[in-house]
Amino acid sequence: MILRSLSNLFLALSAILLALPIVVVCGAALNSGRTMFFPPKEPTLSRFYEFFIAEPIWVTALGNSILIAFGSAALAVLLAWPVAYGLWAKGGRASQVLAGLGSMPFALPPIVFGVGLGFLWTFLGALGAVWAGIISHATLFLALPIVTISIGLQSIDRSHLDAAATMGATSSVIFRTVILPQTMPYTISGFFFALVLSFNEFIVMFFVSASAYSTVTLQIFNSLRNGYTPTMAVAAITFIVVSLMVFSAVARWGDLPRLMGAEPAKP
Amino acid sequence: MSVISDLDAVAQPPNTTRSEARKWANPQVLIWAVVLFLCLTPFILIFAVSFGHKVEGAGWVWGFSFANYQRVFVGAEWPDQVTWLYLQRLYYSLYYAVIAAVLAVVTAFPFTYLMTGLSRRAQSAWLVFLLSSLSLSEVFIVMGWDVLLSNRSGLPMVFKETGLTDWLKAVGWFDVLREWGLANPRNVKFKTSVLATVLTMSYLVWPYAVILLYPPLSRLDRSMVEAAHTMGAGPWTVMRTVVLPAMRLPLVGTILLLFVFLLGVYVAVTVFAEPAKQTMSVSVYGAVRGNTLNAPFGAAQAIVLLVTAAIFLVLGQWMNRRTAS
Amino acid sequence: MNGLSLTGIYKDFGSVRAVENVHLDFAQGELTALLGPSGCGKTTLLRMIAGLELPSGGAIRLNDDDITALPAHKRRFGMVFQNFALFPHLSVRENIVYSLVISGTAKADAMETGERLLDLVQLKGYGDRRISALSGGQRQRVAIARALAQEPDVFLLDEPMSALDAKLREDMQVELRLLQQRLGITTIVVTHDQREAMTMADKIVVMSQGKVEQVGSPQDIYHRPENAFVADFIGRANFFDGVVENGQLRIADTVLNTTPAPAFLNGSGVRIACRPELPCLDREDVEGSRLNATVTFVRDLGPARDIHLKTAIGPMIVEYAQGEDQQQYRVGQETVVTLPAEGLHVFPEEKAVL
Repeated sequence: MILRSLSNLFLALSAILLALPIVVVCGAALNSGRTMFFPPKEPTLSRFYEFFIAEPIWVTALGNSILIAFGSAALAVLLAWPVAYGLWAKGGRASQVLAGLGSMPFALPPIVFGVGLGFLWTFLGALGAVWAGIISHATLFLALPIVTISIGLQSIDRSHLDAAATMGATSSVIFRTVILPQTMPYTISGFFFALVLSFNEFIVMFFVSASAYSTVTLQIFNSLRNGYTPTMAVAAITFIVVSLMVFSAVARWGDLPRLMGAEPAKP
Repeated sequence: MSVISDLDAVAQPPNTTRSEARKWANPQVLIWAVVLFLCLTPFILIFAVSFGHKVEGAGWVWGFSFANYQRVFVGAEWPDQVTWLYLQRLYYSLYYAVIAAVLAVVTAFPFTYLMTGLSRRAQSAWLVFLLSSLSLSEVFIVMGWDVLLSNRSGLPMVFKETGLTDWLKAVGWFDVLREWGLANPRNVKFKTSVLATVLTMSYLVWPYAVILLYPPLSRLDRSMVEAAHTMGAGPWTVMRTVVLPAMRLPLVGTILLLFVFLLGVYVAVTVFAEPAKQTMSVSVYGAVRGNTLNAPFGAAQAIVLLVTAAIFLVLGQWMNRRTAS
Repeated sequence: MNGLSLTGIYKDFGSVRAVENVHLDFAQGELTALLGPSGCGKTTLLRMIAGLELPSGGAIRLNDDDITALPAHKRRFGMVFQNFALFPHLSVRENIVYSLVISGTAKADAMETGERLLDLVQLKGYGDRRISALSGGQRQRVAIARALAQEPDVFLLDEPMSALDAKLREDMQVELRLLQQRLGITTIVVTHDQREAMTMADKIVVMSQGKVEQVGSPQDIYHRPENAFVADFIGRANFFDGVVENGQLRIADTVLNTTPAPAFLNGSGVRIACRPELPCLDREDVEGSRLNATVTFVRDLGPARDIHLKTAIGPMIVEYAQGEDQQQYRVGQETVVTLPAEGLHVFPEEKAVL
């Protein structure tokens, strides 16, 4: 009994500590002055107006963030599908190596990968191009859709494929009518994971954008030396809300515990 | 043995299997080419550039010398003069990363263990919260902790307002804090300090630790725990004799992954660490795009960082395999 | 010939031979059960018939056409899978008309067939339900309807009752058999349950370790087992090991009469099987070998009673149906058991190694 309440206390404490800096940032967004205080002084909502409408720097940056996040997430999913499918359908050493290579950029320190991508785009003359930024993020987060799609493919009951075959379905029909629809929630989850992480990433973006354009997090990173401003806190709130919404949607329409590696739910 | 390939084998009489194989091969070759190009060439380029040298005012040129590596390990003036400046940065990289990774895993483990015991619904809610925190940009997290720890607001203010500072002075612990660099003459201070750096880094990877420990812990057979209870083991004994031994491999693996990730942390270090205690990733940044602008030297440091990460990963693997067998 | 025939079919998985030299004919409209313990190769054989597994050798013919290399999607034998393999992302109706839709049948026709099949399996009105909203028995009906939608030449069922609870299983066996007879479709059912096989099948194929042990009607298989494996696997039997002596059987010091006389050389070792319902206790009027026995255990199952005995030739069980025996037996009681001469099955000794 004591142990149980201790456990609950520990869980609650973890939640509070995890939320603490986020709450502080949210509170700081209400400051009316140029500096961050907590608790906020003279609370106002005008920082929201600045971030979303008034200041072109932030509005452009937000547009870039959205473009790059959606573009790179879509590209990552497109690249991840054949890799994951090869791993599932064929297996074997080669497919494992390919999947490992695809996941490598995500596992290594991003600053190193960012430096390397900076060199790569310099040689190709694409440094500072938005499309290069999209490809860079797609590569960095390729691991996420590879993992989620693989989980999805593994969750397909092989007897479903046999059943479809006995009903006259060729391999391509099986792919279209059984494999694709059954893995769709996992594909979408992979897309959203990549989307949210791309939205928040700035180190790799810093090296490949070469100051030609900027995203929201990159903009904050670049003005780091000048200190934080409440407008940045508004950006932080926006990003937290987006993340919460996306992951809630994944949890609502997909099996989040399963996606994170738990055993399949008992029916 | 896959059904798909079986079906294909059945569908194709032997003489047409080769043309089928060629049809299959093209997209396979394409995807290999794309993945190799995007995931591998950046690292190869860093390696190649690290042997070049800087040209004043004109960037850098290709070359083949170990001068950059020499500078990392013993300084540019070697053998006349030896400096450990960059090795010291590497040391701080490792120092922060190891402490923060272990701290995160040690606290995340009991949390994950308790969380996986909750209902699936509750787990879903927790996962949404954790993933949101995990995906939150480093700049925002540092921003939050910066406000919390800065001397004009946040915790130091709380200490002062509540009289905690005065109490600390009264009992004499304030001097101890000053010795540790956690106080100035008037109040406690957390910026800049090793404590703030490590705490923030640990916070940064804490959700990752939970996510990585979640699969093995949620698959842990709870009836095993119950069996141990029926044999008279208390909660702590069960943890020590049943859960921890089963979790040894995931625990070591998680610490290693977080450690490698933390080697690359940049913002938290620049904001919270003293100038003399900066890390190698800060120095890589400085060399490639910052003030010093010496791309080959930055590349060499990046390679040293990578090799360090690789060494730790291989060591961890080797240790795991040795203790497992 | 009309129907399906297998000649010399075998299948190797690596160095393991899963199915060994099978020759079988499945007549048009007949229901055949492939019966055997798990791992005996019956499912592999069924999968080869479906075209899901390529035989390592031998030939499969349908109405004299060689279909050995024909892939599953061209054979289009309807198949019901052990876990039903219903597509969770499709509704009940969509599952049933799947084969029609992918082969390009006009939508109206497909819908009409769908309704007819829903009616056939008594699921009218369930067409728009999700699979997850169905009970086990309903899922099985959907699986059956789905397999029948393409009007297959051969209907295959892999352990179709194993996902159902015991009560429902018995009902569905009868229902499935009636449906099959009505449609007159060549059907092959894989099962490990002999009651299921005997309830449904025209013909039973008993398999063990990849080989066919016996083929015959349920009555043949039960009353005239061709080897000790079949005698043991189908129903129950008391087994004794003995030798043949002058046309009689000797077990230890006891001599048993059997008709017909065993066709073995004098002195050869044999395994003797006797169904438990054939011997009787304390009956002077029945012909046969008499042995003194002691009751060691009595098991009352309601409709029948098992009396466990200790005799000179070893332990045995005698089964009495309700009302058949006049006397109550108690543990420790002395009795005389009569083994009728025509009730003993004699098999060569080497087959005794099970």
